[in-house]
Amino acid sequence: MKAVVVENLKYRYPSTERLALSGVSFEVEQGEFIGIIGKNLAGKSTLCEALVGLVPHFYKGAYGGRVVVDGVEVLSSSVSELARHIGIVFQNPFTQITAAKLTVYEEVAFGLENLGFQREEMVKRIDYALKLLGLYAYKDRNPFELSGGQMQRLAIASIIAMKPSIIVLDEPTSQLDPLGSEEVFRAVQSLSKEGITIIMVEQKMEKIAQYADKIILMNEGHLVDFGAPEEVFSRPDLESYGVEPPVFTTIAKSLGIKDNKTGLYPVTLEQVRRLMIGESHRS
Amino acid sequence: MNLIEVNNVSFAYTEGVPVLKNVTFSLNNGSVAIIGQNGSGKTTLVKLLKALLKPTSGDILINGINTKETTAAKLARTVGLVFQNPNDQIFKNKVLDEVMFGPLNIGQSMEEARENAINALETVSLVDKKEENPYDLSLSERKLVSIASILSMDTDIVILDEPTIAQDYLGKAKIRSIVHELVRRGKLVITITHDMDFVGECFQRVIVLSEGQLLLDGPAREVFSKEDVLRTANLEPPYVTQLSKTMGYQGVLLSVEEFVVYYHSSVENLERRS
Amino acid sequence: MARVLSLYVETNTFVQRLDPMVKLLYILVAVLISFIILPFRWVGAAFIVLSCLALLYARVFARVVPLLGFSFLILVSIVIIQGLFMPGNKTPAISIFGLTFYKEGLLYALTLCIRVLDVLLAFALLVLTTRPSDLIQSLVKRGLSPRFGYVLSSALQVIPQMMSQVDSIMDAQRSRGLETEGSLWVRLKAFLPLIGPVVMSSLLETRERAMALEVRGFSASGKKTFLYERESSTLDRVLQWALIVVLILSVVLRFVLV
Ligand SMILES: Nc1ncnc2c1ncn2[C@@H]1O[C@H](COP(=O)(O)OP(=O)(O)O)[C@@H](O)[C@H]1O
Ligand SMILES: Nc1ncnc2c1ncn2[C@@H]1O[C@H](COP(=O)(O)OP(=O)(O)O)[C@@H](O)[C@H]1O
Ligand SMILES: [Mg+2]
Ligand SMILES: [Mg+2]
Repeated sequence: MKAVVVENLKYRYPSTERLALSGVSFEVEQGEFIGIIGKNLAGKSTLCEALVGLVPHFYKGAYGGRVVVDGVEVLSSSVSELARHIGIVFQNPFTQITAAKLTVYEEVAFGLENLGFQREEMVKRIDYALKLLGLYAYKDRNPFELSGGQMQRLAIASIIAMKPSIIVLDEPTSQLDPLGSEEVFRAVQSLSKEGITIIMVEQKMEKIAQYADKIILMNEGHLVDFGAPEEVFSRPDLESYGVEPPVFTTIAKSLGIKDNKTGLYPVTLEQVRRLMIGESHRS
Repeated sequence: MNLIEVNNVSFAYTEGVPVLKNVTFSLNNGSVAIIGQNGSGKTTLVKLLKALLKPTSGDILINGINTKETTAAKLARTVGLVFQNPNDQIFKNKVLDEVMFGPLNIGQSMEEARENAINALETVSLVDKKEENPYDLSLSERKLVSIASILSMDTDIVILDEPTIAQDYLGKAKIRSIVHELVRRGKLVITITHDMDFVGECFQRVIVLSEGQLLLDGPAREVFSKEDVLRTANLEPPYVTQLSKTMGYQGVLLSVEEFVVYYHSSVENLERRS
Repeated sequence: MARVLSLYVETNTFVQRLDPMVKLLYILVAVLISFIILPFRWVGAAFIVLSCLALLYARVFARVVPLLGFSFLILVSIVIIQGLFMPGNKTPAISIFGLTFYKEGLLYALTLCIRVLDVLLAFALLVLTTRPSDLIQSLVKRGLSPRFGYVLSSALQVIPQMMSQVDSIMDAQRSRGLETEGSLWVRLKAFLPLIGPVVMSSLLETRERAMALEVRGFSASGKKTFLYERESSTLDRVLQWALIVVLILSVVLRFVLV
């Protein structure tokens, strides 16, 4: 079974004229780590919300096509039922704090309580999630008294604890310092290794190129490309979609350094280094 | 006299929990980046520069005036501060009014304020949204509105607190060109950011904060050469710099252009030698 | 970001440990009796005293003061408007600055003030001494909607949140040359235009928060469980019955009196 199937998805928010998503189709295998890139307002967040059912159940609006996650048809299910299969971390960490819980520990429990888990299982999962995100030391703090970066990690931990088989993250590292975002990428990667499917919107191209198996390029509601990072970032027309490749790719492009086998540019430091060393040996 | 002088400044929100410890530096025109981990005190430092907070000990002089003897409002003509979160700043229900608010407060006439506001909106490419309600804009657009509402005041010092949050490639390019333009006009631009490649490319000087202490202060090239010290603050040099280092290149390269130039000249050297 | 956004104060007295349902029942009883069953000022005043004692005992009275301050403005305007302009005004009571306050209006204003304080303090008792999650849990266990509990507990959480945003925006205004410190008038002039946008952005936040709750299964069907299960104590049951008895007695008293 595919983790995610999107077929000719079209969506328009209520009281707007333009389609926020128009004819998007793609499929994701279980355990894949998918990156979504694209300029602002390209439709990345809308696509994420369509996967978890907020589009159309929460917003209403005009909807066409089909989205199936973990075997469940989104249109005929509800957001809270889908929560057993797919979780989402939003951009704004502040509004993801429930305001119904007084400690970080209880905050993570919220989703587990709603889905009816037993106490022992809850404790196990909360401990695991807090430790994975480096928040265990803050477990007794009031969630609102965390810094923006810590809140962002709490939001991620709260979803991870629910262990959905698919996790969607919408620019989850925007407020984090370099070490903090590296830690998030590593945590997410380890989940993906355990077989959890990851779909992550990100502006940090170097990181997404390094960690993602495949990249979706969005532009004005359309899916422009869906392929390996090397393929997507090697596109000559990338900048016309308002996207800059990783700095390593930019360097390789201006030096004409390609992988001769695939004809594609490198996207990570390691790849560029290897190719450049090969190059200098030849000359 | 320096434009900004920070002498042995310490600060605590709650007694006994110092957030800044004995920080000393001075600034004149040019571009300065402040980098450091979440919680290292960057936002607190710029709020002190703006007199929104007053040092617990030590002094801050802006144009020779001690911030303890003035108010944030009186400093408005000299220091402009763009807040980290645009929602903490925007309160008008029309973009143009928001951008005109500062200029009107510092005594510009209606026409002047309008002209400056329009120019500022042009700089961030939002003129066509000037009649809209800021709440209908996206987060990245609101961030640009908050930047425009400081640019319109034409202050000598412009402070940007994490301007690249939520910005895509075009937004970042816009901010880059704003920084360059302000520097060209002889202003002092102070920017807090986590994007090291942006710092390497765009900023002359770098100040590193670590747990409330000033860890490094100097030209970008010098700061980014001290990889070991940066690591103690959990920071890394820009990706370009890292690549040039693993390739064994001499010196600290800060931008793609520098890298490309270095590569070509090294290839030429090789060819000449062989 | 040291925003204090919870009204609940952790001081472990018996008031905090009470079943939230008992406190909810107290609100219901206090309002029913003093508004409808026995609508006398002394009854309302008695409940005010009772609430205050409980708040003092729970050591959270300091937190009520800002809430009272907030409602003081409303109370003052009730007194002024009713005292001066109530249609039934006949007997002049006092004159200040050439304005005559009437006895009928003032007494009516007093009744209104007592009722406002009555409701406010009873709610304060619930909100300041109850963990929001306990309230939701209590409701859910009795088969009521968790949504109701959430709205009840988050409604008052919103006030400190809005105040802290007002502070931030005022900082931003000062940064752009508006003097916000100084006389009351200067501060009011800066504060008043912020009410609209702050309410607006807190509404937008509520909408975003609603989405975040949904994706964490807030309205999932099936049985909810709780991290900390609380057992009802004997005291809970005793007080619960006591409140019901008081309610019944007051109805009886009503018919005896009439
Ligand atoms: N709540 C909403 N109501 C109406 N239109 C919206 C809403 N959210 C997003 N849009 C519109 O949908 C399009 C895609 O936006 P979004 O998915 O947020 O893009 P991205 O996440 O790539 O920046 C934009 O044109 C945007 O204006
Ligand atoms: N208003 C405040 N009250 C109390 N502590 C605060 C406040 N603002 C920030 N802090 C604390 O001060 C430290 C530095 O914060 P800040 O200057 O915001 O860091 P940065 O901008 O580098 O992330 C943090 O530990 C933070 O928790
Ligand atoms: Mg988005
Ligand atoms: Mg900050």
